[in-house]
Amino acid sequence: MPGFIEGMMPVQLLAEILLIIVIFVLGAMILDKKMGIRIPMLLQAALVFIAGWWYYKFRIEPPLPFSVRAIYQVMIAIGIFMWVSSAEKGWTEFKRPILAVLDAKTPLTWWVRAVLLVVLPLSASGMAYKNLLPSLGEPIELRTVHPAPPAAVTVHGKKFPLQTSESPVRVDESGEYSNHIQDAHVMDNPFDPDSIQYMQNVKEGGDIFFQNCHFCHGDNLNGRGLYAYAFNPIPANFTDPGTLAQLQETFVFWRVAKGGPGLPREGFPWASAMPPWEQHLTTEEIWKVILFEYWHTKYPPRTWDE
Amino acid sequence: MKRLFEGRMRNKQLLSWLAVGVLVGALLLPLVISIPLLAEEFEDAALEQAAFAEETLGEDVPAQEIGYDVHYGDEGIVQGPPAPVTSDNENDYPRYNFESRVIIWVANQQHLYYGSFVLAVPIFVMIIEFIGMVTKDRAMAQKYDTLAYDFIKISITAYSITAILGGVLVFTFMILYPAFWTYMTKIFHPAMHIYVLLFLAESGTLYIYYYGWDAMREGLLKWVHLSMAVFLNVFGTVLMMLANSWATFMMSPAGVDAEGQYLGNIWLAVHNHLWNPVNIHRILGNMVFGGGIVAAYAAYRFLSAKNDEERAHYDWMGYVAMFIAVAFLIPLPFAGYYLMREVYAYRQQMGITLMGGLLAWLFIIQAVLIGALFLTTNYYLWQGMERMRGAERYQKYIKYMTFVLIVCFLVWLTPHTMVMTPTELKEMGGQQHPVVGNYGVMSAKNGAVNIIITTTVLSFLLYQRCNKIPTVPWARYGNIALWALFSVAFVNIIWLAIYGYYIPANVRVGLSVPQVVSTLSCLFIGMTINLFMMRGAKPTGPVEWGKISVRSQYALFMLATSFTWMMGLMGYIRSSVRLHWHVNEIMRDNSPWAFTHTIGFAANMISFNVLFFWVTLLFVFWLGSLGTKKAVVEKGRAAPVAALAPSTN
Repeated sequence: MPGFIEGMMPVQLLAEILLIIVIFVLGAMILDKKMGIRIPMLLQAALVFIAGWWYYKFRIEPPLPFSVRAIYQVMIAIGIFMWVSSAEKGWTEFKRPILAVLDAKTPLTWWVRAVLLVVLPLSASGMAYKNLLPSLGEPIELRTVHPAPPAAVTVHGKKFPLQTSESPVRVDESGEYSNHIQDAHVMDNPFDPDSIQYMQNVKEGGDIFFQNCHFCHGDNLNGRGLYAYAFNPIPANFTDPGTLAQLQETFVFWRVAKGGPGLPREGFPWASAMPPWEQHLTTEEIWKVILFEYWHTKYPPRTWDE
Repeated sequence: MKRLFEGRMRNKQLLSWLAVGVLVGALLLPLVISIPLLAEEFEDAALEQAAFAEETLGEDVPAQEIGYDVHYGDEGIVQGPPAPVTSDNENDYPRYNFESRVIIWVANQQHLYYGSFVLAVPIFVMIIEFIGMVTKDRAMAQKYDTLAYDFIKISITAYSITAILGGVLVFTFMILYPAFWTYMTKIFHPAMHIYVLLFLAESGTLYIYYYGWDAMREGLLKWVHLSMAVFLNVFGTVLMMLANSWATFMMSPAGVDAEGQYLGNIWLAVHNHLWNPVNIHRILGNMVFGGGIVAAYAAYRFLSAKNDEERAHYDWMGYVAMFIAVAFLIPLPFAGYYLMREVYAYRQQMGITLMGGLLAWLFIIQAVLIGALFLTTNYYLWQGMERMRGAERYQKYIKYMTFVLIVCFLVWLTPHTMVMTPTELKEMGGQQHPVVGNYGVMSAKNGAVNIIITTTVLSFLLYQRCNKIPTVPWARYGNIALWALFSVAFVNIIWLAIYGYYIPANVRVGLSVPQVVSTLSCLFIGMTINLFMMRGAKPTGPVEWGKISVRSQYALFMLATSFTWMMGLMGYIRSSVRLHWHVNEIMRDNSPWAFTHTIGFAANMISFNVLFFWVTLLFVFWLGSLGTKKAVVEKGRAAPVAALAPSTN
């Protein structure tokens, strides 16, 4: 089965689900109208439920965590209930085989009921046993990926208020801070010796990145560096729209300068291998490497106005 | 004689217009109070007074300490002590052998539940009484009047409970948090006295309004009666706004300097940064909550009804209350959005703690509840179609609408950072899933929630036309226009949601505006076209009130319980975002309970509060059912105005 296309994944997933439903509805309609075979409501509901389970369990790569699949499956079950019970006619049809099994007036329904009365408690006890069995796996940690930053951070003796500070290296031709400079030069060659100051800063930031950061964050900045899988959690993927693109440049400055040990408790400082880079880089070098990361990923830093 | 008569008529008209003017003015009073300009005037006056004192008394004037407002930055004369620095001892935090914070949590939440209910109900009692007065059909007018009376009757018992709980809350503060309470009263004591006086005025008005219902039944007296409802609501709203100012002062203090010293301008302390956003959000929230509670009451009475007549009446009552709740539910997310925007504007950390940090998991629960509210609303409307013959034409679309709602709901509640074991994390290769993780960002969420609301509007539109066939000559074009309107809205919302991934965050925030415009266009333009199309439409049968499945009534319970749970949850989030501060950045909480509870504990506490509230509310319902006026219901006639439901004949 072909995989998900990079850049189209969220839309592709929705399109595939839509396609499955269209096939299901058309199939049921053809069977009913053309061939006179009506799929019972209960079976239709069971098929939709199983199709949903199959899709999220086997189609999506890498595998989804159980918690997410559980949420999805419960939602699918609720949707099925809403659909079958939205009108009295459908609801009666849906309930009929269930009530027939409970009443057990025929040998077949009697047997089904007998089997269910054995299988259901056994499954429940099996699940309870599985849940109670001590596990050797590490426990779940609700790690906060973007914990709240402090109001200000002091780096190399200078205080930077995070809400108002600006990068001193994100400058236009006149040397003034500019929000738009990146857009104008995103395709420029950083190795061009005649390039403007901004691009020179980007180039220097790149040098620092490849000397210090790429071992973990990867040469494509996607968090898949040489040592990435030695860490748990693995390093941040800057190409993901949920990381750099969501953050103010000053937030990233705080994270780079203070590293894992500088995280507040909610950010699980013990679960990050990021060093406090203020011990190895100058303030300007930190700003430059951040400049390079935004330039390379083409995401502009988050701003609150405009 | 004729001239005299005309003169009287003119006088009467003049008086009527005057009365309407006074009432509208009274209704606008809360708005006028919240105008920021007033703050400046107050402050200018204080400074002028100080300058005048200095000029006239010259050097004899004793040196006055000047402080700078911690929020507005203005200069002011220090008029109070600094915020107390407390420590973990019996003097600052007297205690029982129990967590004081939990006690105050329960007292506060219960007071808020009842307070919201008794503030909301008079608003829609006023609306329903007014509809009853202008309805020409006497049977219907009587029915509306009875309904309004039924509502206020429930609220009057709840009113006493609110007052009792208010007393419990104040005593709990005084006993368990004396240092904090003393500090608050030193700043807010004038506002607290006004609060008490307003409470007296509200009580007096409410009792006359309730007990005078029969005595002021006819003619001019009925209008006097209605005008009392207006004053009742004005008192209630101002009362709530005053109480809001204390809660928002704790989040975003103003009117004091960095030490917490009061600078003499009570208005600045009241009009702090988050006051108005919370005011708006709470007024709308109260309406939704009140509607939900009354709908649950109607469902309770429906399920325990002894005959068809009662069933029909309470089915209708439940429908009207649900309609009110949903009408105010639709703008509520936008008010919430405004509130969050202001929180971010006030303190970025506070915003991130709420939505991206420590409390973000609770927002996921909120997302689930919001989705549940819309799903339940749709479900109730679909069940309601069963009341009408001719609805079969539209019932076949339900499965497609369910599909759209569920898919959007899945996107809406997909978390950005997922709950997973470390093994799953390694398998996935990062905190964010490369495929579904994309649904965790705002762009997808905005698209999903707008589609959910638009689909709900569509459900309502289909419900309205269930038992009618349009006969206007332009019916075909009307249908095409409706199809086009909804199709364009869906395409626009989805396209903008996709486009949002490719642009910077600050531009993306702006995309929510055209998305919301699409949703609201469907609501207002769609409803208007539909309403005109249904004029003189051929009916396929009456609305058979009472002929609805019991599942629909459980849906009403679900709606009300979700509102209650969500209110408890969001109240907890709003309050706990102060973290270890009693008053943010001014007065530190040094009690042993200054930590943030675990999600599980918080969820259990919210559930306990919800359960406690509903158990006590059942008592109120039971009281309401004692000696209820017999509803005058004429089978087949009982239906609300055209704006609320399909026609009945």
